[in-house]
Amino acid sequence: MMHRILILLAALICITARAETPREVIAKAAVLDDSEAQAKLVQTLADSGSPDVGQLLTLWKEGGIFLLSGPTDTKIAITLGPDKDAGGNQAVFRFETGAPVLDEAGKPLRALASDLNTAETDSLLRTAMKSVMDLAQLSSADVKQRLRSVETLGMEQNPERLPVLLSRQQKETDSQVKRAIREAIALTEIKDEDPAKQIAACRELGAIGSIPSQDILKQVVKDGVPEVQVAATAALKEIASHVRTVDTVGTLFRGLSAGSILLVVAIGLAITFGLMGVINMAHGEMIAIGAYTTYIVQCVFGPGLEVSPFGFHINLPGMNATGWHYDCYFIVAIPLSFLTAALAGLALERGIIRFLYSRPLESLLATWGVSLVLQQLFRLTFGANNVQVSAPSWLSGNWTVNDILFPWNRVFVVVFAIAIVIGVNLLLKKTPLGLLIRAVMQNRNMAACMGVRTERVNMLTFALGSGLAGLAGAFISQIGNVGPGLGQLYIVDSFMTVVVGGVGNLFGTVFSSLGIGMADQGLQQILGNPVLGKILVLAGIILFLQWRPAGIFVSKSRSLES
Amino acid sequence: MMKLVNSAALAFAAGAALTASILPARAQETVKVGVLHSLSGTMAISETSLRDVLQFTFDEINAKGGVMGKKIEPVIVDGASNWPLFAEKAKQLLEQDKCAVVFGCWTSVSRKSVLPVFEKNNGLLFYPVQYEGEEESQNVFYTAEAVNQQATPSVDYLLAQGKKKFYLLGSDYVYPQTTNLVLLEYLLSKGVPIENIGGGFKKDESGKIISAGKYTPFGHTDYQQIIAEIKQFAAGGKACVVSTLNGDTNVPFFKEYAAAGLTAETCPVVSFSISEDEFRALPAKQLVGQLGCWTYFQSIKSPANKKFIADWDAWLKKTTLDGVKKEGRVTCSPMALSYDGVYLWKAAVEKAKSFEVDKVREALKGGISFAGPGGTVKSQKNMHLTKNVFIGETKADGQFKILKTFEGVYGEPWLKGTFKPKTAKK
Amino acid sequence: MDARFPKRELLLVGLGALFLIVIFPALNAADLVSNFTLNVWGKYLCYAILAISVDMLWGYTGLLSLGQALFFSLGGYMMGMYLMRMIGSLGQHKKGIPDFLVFLGWEQLPSFWVPFSSFVFAACMVVAIPALLATVFGYLAFRSRIKGVYFSILTQALTYGAALMFFRNDMLLGGNNGFTDFKFLLGADLRSGATQRALYIATAVMLLLVYLLCRWLTRTKFGLIQRAVRDSETRVLFSGYSAANYKLFVFVVCAVIAGLAGALYVPQVGIINPAEMQTEKSLEIIVWVAVGGRGTLLGPIIGAVVINALKSWATRAYPDLWLILLGGLFILVVLFMPKGIVGLPAQLRGFFAKRKSADPEPETAEKVTVKP
Repeated sequence: MMHRILILLAALICITARAETPREVIAKAAVLDDSEAQAKLVQTLADSGSPDVGQLLTLWKEGGIFLLSGPTDTKIAITLGPDKDAGGNQAVFRFETGAPVLDEAGKPLRALASDLNTAETDSLLRTAMKSVMDLAQLSSADVKQRLRSVETLGMEQNPERLPVLLSRQQKETDSQVKRAIREAIALTEIKDEDPAKQIAACRELGAIGSIPSQDILKQVVKDGVPEVQVAATAALKEIASHVRTVDTVGTLFRGLSAGSILLVVAIGLAITFGLMGVINMAHGEMIAIGAYTTYIVQCVFGPGLEVSPFGFHINLPGMNATGWHYDCYFIVAIPLSFLTAALAGLALERGIIRFLYSRPLESLLATWGVSLVLQQLFRLTFGANNVQVSAPSWLSGNWTVNDILFPWNRVFVVVFAIAIVIGVNLLLKKTPLGLLIRAVMQNRNMAACMGVRTERVNMLTFALGSGLAGLAGAFISQIGNVGPGLGQLYIVDSFMTVVVGGVGNLFGTVFSSLGIGMADQGLQQILGNPVLGKILVLAGIILFLQWRPAGIFVSKSRSLES
Repeated sequence: MMKLVNSAALAFAAGAALTASILPARAQETVKVGVLHSLSGTMAISETSLRDVLQFTFDEINAKGGVMGKKIEPVIVDGASNWPLFAEKAKQLLEQDKCAVVFGCWTSVSRKSVLPVFEKNNGLLFYPVQYEGEEESQNVFYTAEAVNQQATPSVDYLLAQGKKKFYLLGSDYVYPQTTNLVLLEYLLSKGVPIENIGGGFKKDESGKIISAGKYTPFGHTDYQQIIAEIKQFAAGGKACVVSTLNGDTNVPFFKEYAAAGLTAETCPVVSFSISEDEFRALPAKQLVGQLGCWTYFQSIKSPANKKFIADWDAWLKKTTLDGVKKEGRVTCSPMALSYDGVYLWKAAVEKAKSFEVDKVREALKGGISFAGPGGTVKSQKNMHLTKNVFIGETKADGQFKILKTFEGVYGEPWLKGTFKPKTAKK
Repeated sequence: MDARFPKRELLLVGLGALFLIVIFPALNAADLVSNFTLNVWGKYLCYAILAISVDMLWGYTGLLSLGQALFFSLGGYMMGMYLMRMIGSLGQHKKGIPDFLVFLGWEQLPSFWVPFSSFVFAACMVVAIPALLATVFGYLAFRSRIKGVYFSILTQALTYGAALMFFRNDMLLGGNNGFTDFKFLLGADLRSGATQRALYIATAVMLLLVYLLCRWLTRTKFGLIQRAVRDSETRVLFSGYSAANYKLFVFVVCAVIAGLAGALYVPQVGIINPAEMQTEKSLEIIVWVAVGGRGTLLGPIIGAVVINALKSWATRAYPDLWLILLGGLFILVVLFMPKGIVGLPAQLRGFFAKRKSADPEPETAEKVTVKP
């Protein structure tokens, strides 16, 4: 009760003593040079309770507040209006009031964003902003924001925040946030003078399995009174067992996602190499084509793209889309990357590979030549550097359950892989084209005798395989590099996956990619070393092929010379 | 006659195609300068920009009359990220082309592979990229950042920001391994307890630590596991990551890092291999506030830098050279250091009044200053460079905001074993 | 199947050997050929030896091994370890042990390094280590009848795994930097022109010996079975031969040849690091063989020298476009010159005679060796 009265009093004092709105405070802080003073001002916003503080601070952090030099060396904080005129000029508004700024002639001032100085922030200031926003977000409608807010308050271990947390605990409905509040309260109470309270806090932390509290508990084990030490040690033990569970489940998921990536990368090869027998060393570059297509689509949705390979200047205008319109780019990019890579594959098949069906090992050499040429072409067109492909907002972020992390892009790749396998399987097993493909791949001459136009089927099959590689590229762009050497990173793994699975069998590829992914992540977790894990996986593959020399699933054949 | 037999021998190999290379030697008014960078292969990603900036610098010097009245004639070769080829090309530049100086190399291994060639032929190499130290050849001038011009200042900054836990992560090669061992000694000497240093240790039989930190191979694409580890490491707050990951692997690392919900506020990453050039490939918006430490940033607001950037942009617009990408270019520390290197060499030649390596080296050792884009640099007796060190944090537009400047830091290649831990434990 | 030399071939091989072993180095000694040119040629000839070993496997036995670069590097590493020991205390750290060990905090030499101070031991290891690995791996692979593309991928996995191992600094073999900065070989200064010339001559002689060995092998009954395995392994089995033993023998011999080439290569180029054993390198060797003409013994030599000379030249003349030139060349060779450079004269003759070549491949190849 006493607490509440104090808070009420404090709030009253604040209101009477400082009539400044959050906008005014921020405007005042933005023009200061000293970041410590800025941070102090921003801290005062913590108790304002105003709902738009978070929004305003975010605007500042993201460079939406500019500084205008007024007369006599003063600066004022301004924002820019949403609409741009032909010259790119935007209307200027005073930040604290939102009133338009007038120029000397009394007309509304317009300015070019690039001419203005942004009100910058540094880490000290942003830390202050963050703690203010956290407090403000404690009552946010968004569960994620509430969660983050509680977590930070817990780490602060500030007894003054205890009442806020307790009152929130009464209202909170979300189980995750509830757990976080329990954690935060326990973390705060562990600093209490009273050993009984400390012990209770330790027990609580142990029961929750609080990973963040480990360091604090270790400190308690060192400094606390004996009974508390015992409690803290017990809590640490409980947390350690929780960590083991998190690691195990996390590793399983990571193995699944690593396997899915292998699968997505290798499935195109399972068709061109597995079914058709073409050793396509340019498979990696087909992946890169898909990834670069995604990049181009992204640029077209964004600011446009200018390239000048071999002195030809190409300028693709951009749509400057924002928000969810921009996020749609990836939806557009997926089919397009399939198409571009399929077309490239078609050209490759028509131009080179069709002459080499009878000489599969030589297709290796020719396609390796193609791969070298394509790599250098990427380099000359898009530059030797990696290009930037950013994730659409619906693919960034993660889903955390009980400290186990499921990043959205990883979840997506798993779903994506399942969809591709089902799609390809349906195509091969249920469509007329699939029937023809299977017929030609089993026996090219026999199919030709039956009147199948094998040339066309070859062409389409190769295009399909390449298109699938392009799809993989679209996906890889979300988790890794997009650059001229992209393909080289995946080519060895792809071949390995297909061969281990058994050439000519799609489901073999599914099994082997999942197996390799799981083994890789599992060994990495156990050994704590990514390289050793990979070496052991390779050794495993060598031994596995001793045992099953033709992969997991052997294509049965009565022919002696296969 | 000698020329003829040489050419005959070579022609034996490549036939008529070779005739192009035996053009008669140009007249006396030029001086040959070698450029030895990878323009293809894995390292082309970083090194191509240095070739471009060197070309720009040569053009700039030539437009002003060259070096001692002689125009610079660049001999550009592709090391193709292939280390024996680097050694071969170095031999070619020194023995066949008789280049007065060579600018080049990026990775430690490329420098190591050409080093014997330069020592044998008494050549001079200007090396512009941050490196591990533990080397002081008389035939290499290291314009590069030494460990005390990058790693230790960053850690000082992080300590001042109240960071208590440090996770060491790097690519598995000499530069990260050495840097992390130095950092381990340094952190212990600053009183950071060893259990607060993450990434793991490896000890030899006697229990001495011979390797600190977590290492991934080149071209590693899967950082899920490591990110999960960092997430737990950083859960208690006040943690940061010191990353010596090589350029290419930074993209998957940071994409995974952002997806795991880690941010610069919860656990900042200070990277020693990400400059503006590499940053172009990263999702900048998700990485606001990550730290970098270099001796140059494009955002430095000095007249010298403004002029450097403006001249560079103008050159890009009008150049007709093959393979120079014109769009979206930035400047970065290795580029500025390459630029500084050429001017330092020019000044040294003019001071020595000779192109002879021995005399130029003496001039360099005597201390030559040059007001470069990153501030004044001064050559040292130990073939390194005194320069300003900047700590910056990344902004949404891919540039760095400068947070702290250390002025005139002396380049010190021999750091290992110089910091004594505060606690008696070693 | 006659092991004797026909006159024309004798003349050609004799002249070639005379030029490479005697005249070329003599010109260098007389300062008419620069050290650089001779050194580069030394490198090409090492590659030529390596290419022969690949051709023995691929062209003659039908085993497309992507692991030859590994055996080459292993030979190189063994020689490199000896050369590192010979640096003595002339390294950057002046400690008497290799610099990278000082980096890693070692004060004494790890035990497995100790015997490498002896050249004889190192030379034995150059042969023994590749042979041992090839025996174990080949035994396992051929016993379980792994063939075709499975064999290729298996050797690729082996190479990839080995490269990852060698990249690790804990291997105590220099990690990514590998071995560099060699000073002495058998007491001779590696930087001097005379030593490099001697190394070059050793390489040229080795090439001749390897050529003669392989020529003899392929013309014995062994060679017949070798090619029979390539053309139809099952029939060889049915005829009562143990194909696996033959394959194992060839595999081990080729591993040793590759190891010797590597050992000669390292002191000439002055560096060995794990990048040498990456899969691309193995692919490159296969391309040399294909361009030169597979299934012949002269083909790989010509292919290795021509492609590498082209690369040396193009990386200097067209630094931005050479990959496109080289890649384009591979495509053209595969499409239009299936028998490589060595097969070109026959192909041209056939083209001019407007006669469809009906000769089975191996026979053409042999004729070509005889009448280039």
